[in-house]
Amino acid sequence: MTGPAILTVNGEARPLTPGLTLPALLRDLNIDPARVAVAVNDDFYPGARVPERTLEAGDVIEIVRIIGGG
Amino acid sequence: MQQNPHTPDPFTLGGRTFTSRLMTGTGKFTDFGVMREALAASGSQIVTVAIRRVELRAPGHDGLLDALDWDALQLLPNTAGCRTADEALRVARLARVATGVNWIKLEVIPDARYLLPDPVGTLRAAEALAEDGFTVLPYVQADAVLARALEDAGCAAVMPLASPIGSGRGLRSPELLRTVLDGARVPIVVDAGLGVPSDAAQALELGADAVLVNTAIAEARDPVGMAHAFALGVQAGRAAFLAGRMPERAHASPSSPTGGVVRLPDPEVPV
Repeated sequence: MTGPAILTVNGEARPLTPGLTLPALLRDLNIDPARVAVAVNDDFYPGARVPERTLEAGDVIEIVRIIGGG
Repeated sequence: MQQNPHTPDPFTLGGRTFTSRLMTGTGKFTDFGVMREALAASGSQIVTVAIRRVELRAPGHDGLLDALDWDALQLLPNTAGCRTADEALRVARLARVATGVNWIKLEVIPDARYLLPDPVGTLRAAEALAEDGFTVLPYVQADAVLARALEDAGCAAVMPLASPIGSGRGLRSPELLRTVLDGARVPIVVDAGLGVPSDAAQALELGADAVLVNTAIAEARDPVGMAHAFALGVQAGRAAFLAGRMPERAHASPSSPTGGVVRLPDPEVPV
């Protein structure tokens, strides 16, 4: 049995459009890639250099930024 | 050795040399203008930042990156908020690609009430990060055995806490800090809980190589003035350490000569 294909993005489940790439996901989310870092499962990318990677069902994605902290 | 307090007295951390022994955090400032001025007044050359998820519903940036002079400062991203070694490893690797810097202030803190670090998880994460090429600065309790194990794991420094993060209660376990300092092979940076410049001075007087301060500056009535005051406290403490303190005594020792004192006849002493 297969359910709808989903991604997990920053802890939230999200439907996966077939063929969606990582840069397209950032565009869909309206995120300026230069300001973030991205993990897809155990692969880590500077936002400005995310690869044209096609996302797959079950991928766990983190999109983070730098903020003030001690 | 005589040491002019104005002589540069650099220390080396992670292969880089620094003249300021005050590191500053960038959290809790009311605005970036104040933060930038406070960082300048502190003279800090190493500043910490945090890593957080982008808000998916309201992406955008908060301007921190533009407020920092990246060329002049060594960025030190932290893993604040991580509860386990695995969370800290993930945040450290995100921080590395986010900043292009392989330095990481390692925090593994399962306890939200006192924000006390997990020594076992911290050591495990430190081993993995050092192996992965990070310059690791672990935040720990003042525990000499743990500090030596972290040195053996390849950490670039050890950061024992003074008192709980953000508490401003100062150095609560100076005797434990002494045991961490005694025989340390990497810089010891006292982190967390310093409330006033005299707390920082005390840490440096005891022989700590540096301190990290955030809340005490950011939450001062005048953060810029307090940043300057902490810089002075750190300088005073370091100069005092180099000068070598006097021995403590149980009883008084007159400062003026005991001979030649002007006397009247001895008072009658009741028998």
